[in-house]
Amino acid sequence: MTLPGYGLLKGMGVTLRQMFRKPITVQYPKVRETPVPRARGVIALDQEACTVCMLCARQCPDWCIYIEGHKEEQEPSKPGGRVRVRAELDRFDIDYALCMYCGICVEVCPFDALFWSPEYEYTEHNMDGMLHDMDRLQDWLATVPEPPGLQQ
Amino acid sequence: MTRTNEPDQTALTGEAAAQTGERPRRRTVDVWLTGTEEPDYTDEASQEFQPDDTERELAEQLGSVVDDDYFIEEQPQGDDERMIVNMGPQHPSTHGVLRLQIELEGEIIRRTKPIIGYLHTGMEKTAEDLMFMQGGTNVTRMDYLAPFHNELCYSLAVERLLGTDIPPRAQAIRILMTELNRISSHLVALATNAMDVGAISMMLYGFRDREQILDFFEKATGLRMNHNYIRPGGVAADLPPGWRADVTEILDTLPRRLDQYDAILEKNPIWVERTQNVGVVTTEEALAYGLTGPTLRATGLEWDLRKSNPYSGIEQYEFDVITGENGDVYDRYRIRVDEIYQSMNIVKQVTDTMPKGDYMTGDRKVAPPPRGRINESMEALIHHFKLFTEGFRVPEGETYAAVESPRGELGCYLVSTGGGKPWRMHTRAPSFYNIQGLPIMMADSLVADTVATIASLDPIMGDVDR
Repeated sequence: MTLPGYGLLKGMGVTLRQMFRKPITVQYPKVRETPVPRARGVIALDQEACTVCMLCARQCPDWCIYIEGHKEEQEPSKPGGRVRVRAELDRFDIDYALCMYCGICVEVCPFDALFWSPEYEYTEHNMDGMLHDMDRLQDWLATVPEPPGLQQ
Repeated sequence: MTRTNEPDQTALTGEAAAQTGERPRRRTVDVWLTGTEEPDYTDEASQEFQPDDTERELAEQLGSVVDDDYFIEEQPQGDDERMIVNMGPQHPSTHGVLRLQIELEGEIIRRTKPIIGYLHTGMEKTAEDLMFMQGGTNVTRMDYLAPFHNELCYSLAVERLLGTDIPPRAQAIRILMTELNRISSHLVALATNAMDVGAISMMLYGFRDREQILDFFEKATGLRMNHNYIRPGGVAADLPPGWRADVTEILDTLPRRLDQYDAILEKNPIWVERTQNVGVVTTEEALAYGLTGPTLRATGLEWDLRKSNPYSGIEQYEFDVITGENGDVYDRYRIRVDEIYQSMNIVKQVTDTMPKGDYMTGDRKVAPPPRGRINESMEALIHHFKLFTEGFRVPEGETYAAVESPRGELGCYLVSTGGGKPWRMHTRAPSFYNIQGLPIMMADSLVADTVATIASLDPIMGDVDR
């Protein structure tokens, strides 16, 4: 037989002890947590590596990648050599208002043109601002951590 | 089982209960078991069924007639007057957008009608538009507190049609992740159940400890929720370096935290008074209504898909199936706490015996070629493109795979016509079935017990509506 109200006091003891512990809450704007290496923050684009193969745009489950490109003839590397055709990127937009951060585009890219960057502070007051064009995506490339990332 | 049309004389009316201060005794609800003789009427606690009214039914389905109001057929006069109260869909204690129409007689609930569909997103239809490889992004958003179970269930169904063998390491990672997910989901269930009854600190502690597990998920998959990590063929990535230390830390801290929960709740007179003999459901009723998971086990039936239909190699690990006795809210709470211990036990065994090897199947018809090969071999690049543009083809057929999610039997019924996308995907969502038990659990209980009963089922509306 226990004293009446003992269970209640025992529970209150837990909360009382908790009062003297350091809170685990991180006060965000002042203190920042370091994102994990695999964090899916924002997708960075390497324009040089992209061959406009459209694989990422086709694979995206919510169709939030927009790609346009054209073909350009290149000077032959040796005199008398064959003229090579190279695909040039005209437009590469990712609509982060639609993106669900599944990472399929990064995984399917066969030419290592897309990377995950752990940056996360890019919200906008306006929905239009969430559409990142290719130059903005290129800028994220500087923030990509060294591999190994999510895969490879 | 007998059934009578007579009102139960033993059930107290509102005023009588108020006078004696006695908790009204619950009227057991007769259920019609499959295979038995068809009953004379099909009024199951609240849901009216009109088999002859087909024309009207069709109009309702087409949406030209909307009939979701709930009428009192015979209004008794005087003290027994009844009232219909609408609860939700914007009520904080309905765990999302569940709406209940409750028929009250004084303080006592006589009938309840759950109304769902406020979070319908057409995910089952969306699945028909996504390739098998993309399907994980869709299913992981159904039961958002147990995303790994949804992914595993979908992947198992696809793999069953494909006939692919999964490497042992991938299987062990799947078990590790789903069992950790069960712990995190049960922590939220405890937290919200206690909060609905008034224990705010329990809510804060539950969410605090769940965060530790989510941090590990983020480390392994890149996201806290909706991971898209378990895929048909294996898992997306190997465990991160240092995963063993993280899991060990979780296993070390959790028992201390669970002791705190016990100190707060187990003997707490307020919690015990508000949960014992509340929301009672018997084994027969639970089976007839298709309730599974902690709700079914609380009635005393030892039914766990991890034991009865083992998946992903879970039969190698030792654990017990926890059962209750009374089928009330308190038993469901105890089962969740004890299942956390059992899941920790499994996680510990997986950590100790984690096999080495691949985390993705070697079947090149399902898994893309390794990244290194693409830069060397033209064939590998072509294969990579073929695989991702067309998706892998799944042989014609239909299958059903089920896993034991924290809420009960989570099943995935998949029909393939031989293409790269499922022809039909249906999810047997445990929350959807458990919600059906609300009318019988809440019949003849007090109004104040409503939120405790709802929370004890731990329904996830994303899982209910899909």
